[in-house]
Amino acid sequence: MRRAIGLIGFALIVSAIGSVRPEQAPRSERGAAPIIPVTAHELLNRVRDGKARVTVVNLWATFCQPCVEEFPDLVRLEKAYRDQGVRVFFVSVDFDSELPAVRRFLQRQGVTYPTFLKAQDDDNAFITALHPDWSGALPATFIYDAQGRLRHFHEGKGDFTLFERLVQEVLQHPNPQ
Amino acid sequence: MRQRAFAWVIFLAFPLVVGAQNTPKLKPGDTIPASVKSVKMLSVTGHQLSIADVKGPKGTLVIFSCNSCPWVKAWETRIAEVGNWAQKQGIGVIMINPNDPAKNPEDSYEVMQQRAKERGFEFPYVVDATSDVARAFGATHTPEFFLFDATGKLVYTGALDDNARNPEAVKERYVKNAIEALLAGRPIPVAQTRSIGCTIKFREKI
Repeated sequence: MRRAIGLIGFALIVSAIGSVRPEQAPRSERGAAPIIPVTAHELLNRVRDGKARVTVVNLWATFCQPCVEEFPDLVRLEKAYRDQGVRVFFVSVDFDSELPAVRRFLQRQGVTYPTFLKAQDDDNAFITALHPDWSGALPATFIYDAQGRLRHFHEGKGDFTLFERLVQEVLQHPNPQ
Repeated sequence: MRQRAFAWVIFLAFPLVVGAQNTPKLKPGDTIPASVKSVKMLSVTGHQLSIADVKGPKGTLVIFSCNSCPWVKAWETRIAEVGNWAQKQGIGVIMINPNDPAKNPEDSYEVMQQRAKERGFEFPYVVDATSDVARAFGATHTPEFFLFDATGKLVYTGALDDNARNPEAVKERYVKNAIEALLAGRPIPVAQTRSIGCTIKFREKI
């Protein structure tokens, strides 16, 4: 009897886990910062939550060498400017199967805050929602102001100097008009 | 003073698009770039072939691809199916690897030969030895598809279909639909799409 109740309980837990849509379930492992699956729409909603003066969104992947090369500069940017209300949203476009590699990379880079994973199969819709001029090449970096307005877009590898200049411009001129 | 204020308004009013781009990407209506149309490229079977050499009576499909990109790998079986099918329909097909193997050994000629055999590519898979063919097309990442009609005018550019990760969930077969429309003389249903892929590892300009 006790065994039957245990089995039913286990089945209910499995069923509950199964019913959570992947895009709702942050993926965390042993205290590591969660990797949150997002669609473009969900990502832009987070950008527009009004919780930062500047939001830098960086699309990257573990297989993308220029992404890996510029990554430390963005980590440094976040550290240098977090007190001024600047945050960086790292969005990995790796396939689900690469999640362990994504997690290892983030840990090596010292990223202790939540990051994101593209969870929208239709690339064309994802790309168009973020920027009509983005070719889809990686890395791509988008800089939004406090109101969630896109102020800068950079396709290809950048560096600390470039990103700092773009962030400072938004900090100094919070309103585009 | 007024001029300076105006300059600031212009500067602030539009998102600044910055980035290291090559030639702008070809758009529907553009033609095969004359500068690279006849450039000979080494195929995995040891032949020297150009885009002009493979031109088909009904059109030409140019694919920029590689061996190393996970996006390419996810699509590779479908690339073989569509490429092999297109050739049988009178569309010339050529798949070009513009990546510098010095930046990733998986993009070597030997791995190209192996991959072509494994996947059963019946169309030429060739080396863009200077990456200049990719530059002339404005290609930025792999895989990217460029479909030209019989006159050499671009009628479709973009992704193979709308789902790299899951072949079972594909709703739009962009390249196949475009070829079918081209063959039937119908307007191309979707002439331009985009997909995420791996940045081309261009060879350095000498």
